[in-house]
Amino acid sequence: MGDLGVNHFLFLSAILFIIGMMGVLTRRNLLIIFMCVELMANAVNLSLVAFGWELNSLNGQGFAIFIIAIAAAEAAVGLAIIMALSRRQRTVDVDDIRALRD
Amino acid sequence: MPWDVLIFYLIATICTLSAIGVVAVNNPVHSGVFLVLCFLNIAAIFVMLGAEFLAVVQVIVYTGAILVLVLFVLMLVDPDDLPEFHTGRPVQRYVGLLLGALLLLEIGAVILNRTVTGTSGTDTAASIAAVGGNTQALGRTLYTDYLLAFEVVSLVLTVGVIGAIVLALPERLGAASPVTRRGTISLAHPKDTDAALSPGPAGETPMPARPAATVAQPGLATAGRQLIMTKDPDAYTTPGSRRS
Amino acid sequence: MDQPLWLSFIVAFLIMNVLLGGMAYMTWFERKVLARMQDRLGPTRTGPAGLLQPIADGIKLLGKEDLIPAAADKPVFFFAPLVIFVTAIVSVAVIPFGGQIDVFGTDVNLYIADLNVGALFLLAFGSIGVYGIILGAYASANRFSLLGGLRAAAQVISYELILGLSLVGVFLLTQSLSLRDILDAQRANLSFGVLEIPNWYIITQPLAFILYLIAAVAETNRAPFDLPEAETELVSGFHTEYSAFRFSFYFLGEYINMIIISLFASTIFLGGTDGPGADTYWGLGILWLLAKTVFFLFFYIWLRATLPRFRYDQLMGIAWKVLLPFALLNIAFTAFARLIANGQVF
Repeated sequence: MGDLGVNHFLFLSAILFIIGMMGVLTRRNLLIIFMCVELMANAVNLSLVAFGWELNSLNGQGFAIFIIAIAAAEAAVGLAIIMALSRRQRTVDVDDIRALRD
Repeated sequence: MPWDVLIFYLIATICTLSAIGVVAVNNPVHSGVFLVLCFLNIAAIFVMLGAEFLAVVQVIVYTGAILVLVLFVLMLVDPDDLPEFHTGRPVQRYVGLLLGALLLLEIGAVILNRTVTGTSGTDTAASIAAVGGNTQALGRTLYTDYLLAFEVVSLVLTVGVIGAIVLALPERLGAASPVTRRGTISLAHPKDTDAALSPGPAGETPMPARPAATVAQPGLATAGRQLIMTKDPDAYTTPGSRRS
Repeated sequence: MDQPLWLSFIVAFLIMNVLLGGMAYMTWFERKVLARMQDRLGPTRTGPAGLLQPIADGIKLLGKEDLIPAAADKPVFFFAPLVIFVTAIVSVAVIPFGGQIDVFGTDVNLYIADLNVGALFLLAFGSIGVYGIILGAYASANRFSLLGGLRAAAQVISYELILGLSLVGVFLLTQSLSLRDILDAQRANLSFGVLEIPNWYIITQPLAFILYLIAAVAETNRAPFDLPEAETELVSGFHTEYSAFRFSFYFLGEYINMIIISLFASTIFLGGTDGPGADTYWGLGILWLLAKTVFFLFFYIWLRATLPRFRYDQLMGIAWKVLLPFALLNIAFTAFARLIANGQVF
């Protein structure tokens, strides 16, 4: 317990990242996988900001801003792909989407 | 225990539980709601770390835009298209859990044994307060040290927008798809784009193929009236074009 | 500057109760004004000039049967109305009703919190509020509700963008996101020779003000942008399946949102508490702020009585093809003007 140190935040970040990773590995719904990827990105943001807080630096927050911006672009394209998939293939199950492989 | 530690544990618990909820819950909309809760709590932790601007950006961009879009798509996707939760490959699930546990142990060991090698920065609480606060200080960092990266990110965003528009265009609506579909919900159809479309596929509620001329001459085809209303409402609501 | 926590709680308690009372009488005000514009009288029977009507309405809403659709997603159905209500009422925390005053020898701040990111805080809570609409729509298991919810999601995302961008010009001039700084910056006077006019941002940022006004109406789902709850098309949209006190949360949330967005507009563009005599008497400052807010609320009702509803594609077209370019132009122009004023160009 004791005082609030950077390790608290790093552990939280690690736990969130792993939960997100488990989601990506175990779920098959493309939208859930997308949400889990966002969760992992957020966990990384959290540890970046925590390191910045420990080292008295704003660079961590700057990186986090960039990650959020990229995540927004990723969301736009990713969701458009999911929409197109659901329209053409009639599924959002990652096990059924293999048009590029077969 | 000091107050801040107590508050941290409260937030961290909600955060972790809702993250587990995202992964473990069957209903995708519930997953989305849990993710919103998780992101709001992460924003609260950003506030604890003195990153107020980032916290607000997190709420506005992540919960206010990205997750709304996810829920939006979830509601547009036919529920029949979503995979069942308890089918598929159980091996995948066990391996995923095992890998996750292993990685957690590794990261935990790393965090506990780490040492700080970097030198401490100059952005102390006093220097941030001197320029007016977190927002101003972060703005200075972004527009001086990371100017090029900032420009590149704006370019990426523009490309992302264009890509999303191209992908979401309904130009080949059902054309290459062997499956038959009911008509999709049209929320905001761009004007005058439908004449170029091939007629929709035959489905449970067959869409009548209509000649392109009916678009320009409102009220001509009463059989396809319903469809034309949704596809080209301007023909009906522009003053002067209405038949009295 | 700082005050004990309990004092902040008292101020917060007072402000929120005034807000709730104001919301109740907003419905009365709307019915009266709307009635007069349509050559009617409005409520007259309950109390003098119908002043007790909001109370009667509240009792009626609480007394109604609470219907829950059989196919509803119950947990989501229960908490969705709360989201819109809570987010609406929390946003008032950053609105300053004045500076620091002296009450019986104790310094009291006439605001709940002075955040470094105050203006964005308001936008952030506005953007969470949309979940109340989409989740309620989804949980109702009703096609009309779902359509209303989808419309709301698209509309609020689009117009929130315009709302945020219209404020950027003001932020550029103030160099701060704190609403108190914005308020202080408007207290000075602009002088053109003998003419002295207040430095309200409506004068230096007229385009931003117009954009804000349009986006604010859309953001609160009011006529003529009330597509998510269009009665004639969607049988009142996302709250079709809601009844009794669950409906009243949506109702409360919508009106509180209107009041908050009007308070915000008064603070940002009309100088907030600034006005004749406001520097000497803090009570007068609050009155000025309320007067400006009531003006905006009247404007809302006026719009509702005057304009027909937009069509959906028109709504999105206006946001992305008209308002967005103007908002970006305004930002570029303001930034450029600032650079010239600082002597960094030419």
